[in-house]
Amino acid sequence: MGSIRLDNILFNKVTVNFDDRFTLSEINWTIEPDQHWVITGTNGAGKSALAAVLAGVGEIENGTITGLPQNVGLVSFEAQAELIAKELKKDDADIMDVISLGTPVHEMIFDNCQDPELAQALVEKFGLSQLLDRAFRKLSTGETRKVMLIRALSSKPDVLILDEPFDGLDANTLTMLQKHLASIVDTTPMIMVLNRFDEMPDFITHIAYVDNGKLALTVDKKDENAFNELYQLLHLKTTDLSVPDADPANKLPALDPNQPLVRLKQATIKYGDTVIVDKLDWTIEQGQHWQLSGPNGSGKTGVLSLITGDHPQCYTNDIFVFGFQRGNGESIWQIKQFIGYVSTALQWEYRVSTSCKNVIISGFYDSIGMYSKSTDNQKKIADQWLALLGMEDRADHPFNKLSYGDQRLLLIARAMVKHPPLLILDEPCLGLDDMNRQLVLALIEKICEGKETTVLYVNHHAEDQIKGIENYLGLKKNN
Amino acid sequence: MANYFNTLPLREQLEQLGKCRFMDMSEFADGVEALKGKKMVVIGCGAQGLNQGLNLRDSGLDVSYALRPEAIAQKRQSWKNATENGFTVGTYEDLIPTADVVLNLTPDKQHSSVVEAVMPLMKEGACLSYSHGFNIVEEGMQIRDDLTVIMVAPKCPGSEVRAEYVRGFGVPTLIAVHEDNDPKGEGLALAKAYAVGTGGHKAGVLMSSFIAEVKSDLMGEQTILCGMLQTGSILCFDKMVEEGIDPGYASKLIQYGWETVTEALKYGGVTNMLDRLSNPAKIKAFDLAEELKQIMRPLYNKHQDDIMSGHFSKTMMEDWANDDKNLLQWRADTAETNFEKTPAGDVEISEQEYFDKGILMVAMVKAGVELAFETMTAAGIIAESAYYESLHETPLIANTIARKKLYEMNATISDTAEYGCYLYNHACVPLLADFIKGIKSDVIGKGLSVEDNGVDNARLIEVNTALRSHPVEAVGSVLRGHMADMKKIV
Repeated sequence: MGSIRLDNILFNKVTVNFDDRFTLSEINWTIEPDQHWVITGTNGAGKSALAAVLAGVGEIENGTITGLPQNVGLVSFEAQAELIAKELKKDDADIMDVISLGTPVHEMIFDNCQDPELAQALVEKFGLSQLLDRAFRKLSTGETRKVMLIRALSSKPDVLILDEPFDGLDANTLTMLQKHLASIVDTTPMIMVLNRFDEMPDFITHIAYVDNGKLALTVDKKDENAFNELYQLLHLKTTDLSVPDADPANKLPALDPNQPLVRLKQATIKYGDTVIVDKLDWTIEQGQHWQLSGPNGSGKTGVLSLITGDHPQCYTNDIFVFGFQRGNGESIWQIKQFIGYVSTALQWEYRVSTSCKNVIISGFYDSIGMYSKSTDNQKKIADQWLALLGMEDRADHPFNKLSYGDQRLLLIARAMVKHPPLLILDEPCLGLDDMNRQLVLALIEKICEGKETTVLYVNHHAEDQIKGIENYLGLKKNN
Repeated sequence: MANYFNTLPLREQLEQLGKCRFMDMSEFADGVEALKGKKMVVIGCGAQGLNQGLNLRDSGLDVSYALRPEAIAQKRQSWKNATENGFTVGTYEDLIPTADVVLNLTPDKQHSSVVEAVMPLMKEGACLSYSHGFNIVEEGMQIRDDLTVIMVAPKCPGSEVRAEYVRGFGVPTLIAVHEDNDPKGEGLALAKAYAVGTGGHKAGVLMSSFIAEVKSDLMGEQTILCGMLQTGSILCFDKMVEEGIDPGYASKLIQYGWETVTEALKYGGVTNMLDRLSNPAKIKAFDLAEELKQIMRPLYNKHQDDIMSGHFSKTMMEDWANDDKNLLQWRADTAETNFEKTPAGDVEISEQEYFDKGILMVAMVKAGVELAFETMTAAGIIAESAYYESLHETPLIANTIARKKLYEMNATISDTAEYGCYLYNHACVPLLADFIKGIKSDVIGKGLSVEDNGVDNARLIEVNTALRSHPVEAVGSVLRGHMADMKKIV
């Protein structure tokens, strides 16, 4: 390693307020001197705010930050805007009746410059030589950005903070900048804000994921799994892709809009003398999203399986589902066609050596594995789902070789592929780590944007809430 | 009652034995229609009875269970199985008179008494269904002329029948109509609808005859399926211990070895199973199998002959009449074998190691499958039947040994299969005594110790050609093609 002689930068439960417009809360973060970070997250999550804190912006309300270096090189849109505003103010403040030229570019770059030689070289590389005498405020956005970059790079910074440094740069400049940054990795720790993973330079060692004003995750790039999951999460959160359409060839029978989707009357499940569910009345109207909760053993899954037809006692109960009064000669497949279903148990049962794409397509057939030839259109729709999940490169990978979280995502896509009138998510985050939990919730939120599916969400984690659910059923444990 | 098969003239015997046709999916286009709205009453609520009933009900059919009064009064397991799953349960008198179809899913041994009790209660023109033809063919049960008699036999344990249905699939199923009892000509339509109701049509249905089913089923289960695996387990274990191999290791190699090597069999036949070996090991296994086939062929012939003549069923029925004295004694003896008593050791054995160190086991499976197939087809059983009753079912039985050794295998299979298995085992162990004396740990337990894997080209070609051109491989590749999807799920 080169000449880095800095301390770790330590955030200890830091809460920062930005003019009451935005708050970053409870940030715990350690940046070591030989690390290069990318801060990422969705729009408005607080990425730039977090980067700005390193440059001393914001009012620390709580917690401590130690090890912040003195000399920070900062490039960001906010800083750029501020500089331009300052220039314009100079103009306004001019009381003499002469036209102010504003500060020329060479002054902006070379006054107080720590490394004029480097600055000169960069001016040439960035093609600013012709513009040195021009007023800074007359430059285009791209040109002012280049000036900002040169100022920051030639300031011999202890740390470089680059907020979307590649935005608005032409291809040549971009390559040049990337090369230059790569050449200083040994001497200058860098922290970048980037929206797009594909712009991430190779030398980046760590990624910070910001969500909703919190530092939600930090990932060591060497941890390939975590890195891929983060990529997927960001993809899901930021993609313009929406949930693929249903297959017109797999059209479900129409449901009577005046009938409820599900109506249980005095539903009871018992084994011998043990009563698991006792006389439950429950009606789910179309479009009425429900959350079902209750402790282990309260019969949540039992109630669900009465609805899905997987529980043998569905034949001894008064159950109306999707237009069928159960036990009148309907087959289980006539019921299942209306339901998309995801649960941990399903994932355990889905022990097949089939491809990821086939797992999604099997949702058209309500089967575990594929036993029919799929149509071209089904394959196309499955591809669209894979693209939405950011997994198109794994279409033909064996499902059972995927990570647990990826399997869950695919099973959710499988459940949704036919746009079922009822989507049952039985503890969809159970057994998932933080990252995968966020991934799954992001996917579900995406799904809930659609109108035709009624969601029945089962969990006992209060923190996993889904927007748009307004009905709650709580089950108690019997005895 | 006389053995039904033996009452037929040779011409008809051969015709019935030769019945077996793989049905096309399009033949099931009517779905369960033929059974829709009909009252199906299942007798017996064991693994087959319960799981077939669950499937049929989930296919929209009306299913209830008729049990003996004492099973209901004492709330026996069969009563619990049926009631906890929400089925109507009643006595024969309650339910049989209302039944359009009576599904006899009791053990073979009870068939005569069950059918005799049920038949007078059945309504005019109803249907009696079996999952195994033993009662009709071997016991010669005469069924009332107005009743239709069919067979629907899923070729898997009851738990698999259910599990595959729930996945949206099914298990390969054999159906047959007893031609002497098809007064309205509706037997085939009912059998097909029944097969659809259990999901069997998705995995492939064989149209067979009662006779072909019984004679091939008995042969398969006695020899390769259960007999060979039991004999092989006992001999291989004792040999390994004699050769100084750790008993825990030996126990594990056998317990899971059958399952592992027959998994390769399931995917790609005998050829693929042997292709998993190195070339020198493959040639070794081939030679051992040839030797085994030569030694065991008379035994396979005897089993087939005794099955055809009815001698087997006669002696077994005598044992039934004698309170299962032989069966129970043999069952107790099996529990006392060293293999059964030695738990699998806590050692890691990789998938490939089961092949490399289990060359003799591979050879035994090859010899048993080919012999059973050859003997069956020589006796007039058509190749498709012979394939299902030999190669196809071997992995299923091997799975039971992996679960809990020979105990589990014998507990899972029918009493008829278990009885035949012991007969085979008692004859085969002494038969192989000399052969096994010459066996060393290189083919069981340690693997070949060779300098390199070099082999003679001409010999390898010879062996590969022989493997690939065996008739069980030809019919197997066709039938496995039909069930291409099957391999994706298990």
